[in-house]
Amino acid sequence: MTLFLDVVSTAAILFIVAAGLLAIFGVLKIINFAHGAWLTIGAYCAVVVSGFGLNPWLAIPFAFLIGAILGGVAERFIVRPLYRRPLDAILATWGLGIVIGQLITLWFGRDVQFTPALLPGTFDLFGAGYSAYRLFAIVAAIALGLGFTLLLDGTRLGLSARAVIMNETLARGLGIDTEKVRLTTFMIGTGLAALAGVLLAPLTSVDPNMGVAWLTGAFMLVMVAGSSFGALAVACLIFGAAQVLVSIYFSPILGGITVAVLCAITLRIRPKGFARA
Amino acid sequence: MADTFKLKLSGVSSGYGAVDVVNGVSLAIRPGEIFALMGKNGMGKTTLLKTILGFLRGKGTIEVDGAVIADRKPAELIASGIGYAPQELPLFQDLSIRDNLRLALKGDRDLASALERVYGYFPFLKDRLAQKAGTLSGGEQKMLILARALMLRPKLLLIDEISEGLQPSVVQNIAKALRDEREKRGTTILLVEQNLDFALSVADRWAILKLGAIEDESPNGPDSRSRVLQHLKI
Repeated sequence: MTLFLDVVSTAAILFIVAAGLLAIFGVLKIINFAHGAWLTIGAYCAVVVSGFGLNPWLAIPFAFLIGAILGGVAERFIVRPLYRRPLDAILATWGLGIVIGQLITLWFGRDVQFTPALLPGTFDLFGAGYSAYRLFAIVAAIALGLGFTLLLDGTRLGLSARAVIMNETLARGLGIDTEKVRLTTFMIGTGLAALAGVLLAPLTSVDPNMGVAWLTGAFMLVMVAGSSFGALAVACLIFGAAQVLVSIYFSPILGGITVAVLCAITLRIRPKGFARA
Repeated sequence: MADTFKLKLSGVSSGYGAVDVVNGVSLAIRPGEIFALMGKNGMGKTTLLKTILGFLRGKGTIEVDGAVIADRKPAELIASGIGYAPQELPLFQDLSIRDNLRLALKGDRDLASALERVYGYFPFLKDRLAQKAGTLSGGEQKMLILARALMLRPKLLLIDEISEGLQPSVVQNIAKALRDEREKRGTTILLVEQNLDFALSVADRWAILKLGAIEDESPNGPDSRSRVLQHLKI
């Protein structure tokens, strides 16, 4: 039972980390290599909230807001001029990530920081105690997945985003303001990255480069998933399970690179990954 | 008093990169008129439509209701009441019929009334709203494209080779919808076509585009068919 929960909660954490990156990739067709920096921004939002002695749960909306606002600024002034040059956009977001990391270092220093547990203790499940916070991560991932499904299938913004994903030229031909859709999506994606940073913070330490370690796995998962949240969930479950098993039965160090290696092998065999088309 | 035109092009040239595909086209279409623009493949018909809609920038002047529309984005032009039924990649294949139609409107407030209106032209849509657009037959897809363009109650409708590859009964359906739309709402229609029988069955006037320029233009009359055939023969 514990092994099963380890697999599911690891998949949930991977899904939370990669969801914002996938939202941006799906609509904008660029990889936001500053995604790791936004995770870090979110984690430092948790540090700030706890520093002020506020309820640590307040860090979640605070980080989403800060992440979305900064994402809006980055989209308008850095990413938007480079939509037609995706390679340059990748380099620009990579550079932006480095700048953000340095600014965080200037502001908060290099020291590792810790945030208070959002949900301490264990929860009894089928007779076995399991980390309440990791169980919360599973619930959070499911809520995030359902939220995205609702957003994509139940709102005008979601319909417009799906139209832009499928055929941007036609979407423009129907009068959809694709610039607005891109801006909103980028803000949602960066907001979610910051939110993921808050949720990661109690599981790890917070430092100016903490996001970089998560970026590689998230990037590979998005490459495998294409632009489908369903495919992302499946990829997180499969590769998350592999990560847990390799960590337990072989080595945690090997476990750390399992997701990236298996994603690379998957893409070698099946270049379109888990995407249908 | 000067004539008022729904759409007026004066010396419009445009193309891709340094190459002009449309060369100095001048046309004037009156409100409520159906105007057929015909020509062989590669003569610039679709390029001209894309230029009117702001997808391509060019030289010359384009006026709608007497106002110059240069430098306006496609989204603004379509929101202002210009409907467009494109020829290339015209549907979201993986979206339902309902969602394809919804996308023509800014919001869902007028969706029910707009749907009722297009059911009047194409009743088959009503029972198949949940079906994916990509699963429709070729003719049904063309009717859906036109239905979507009509959802916004356009004042000016630009249609790009809607009859291509369709069986005669579907073409007749589309022709009837266009005539009805003009009769009921006074919609002005610019119809780009290669099917001269269809085009001349609905058009008030026609023009031939050859190598990006207007080669002939005339009101639709008894001699139109033979004149157009002269231009279109290989």
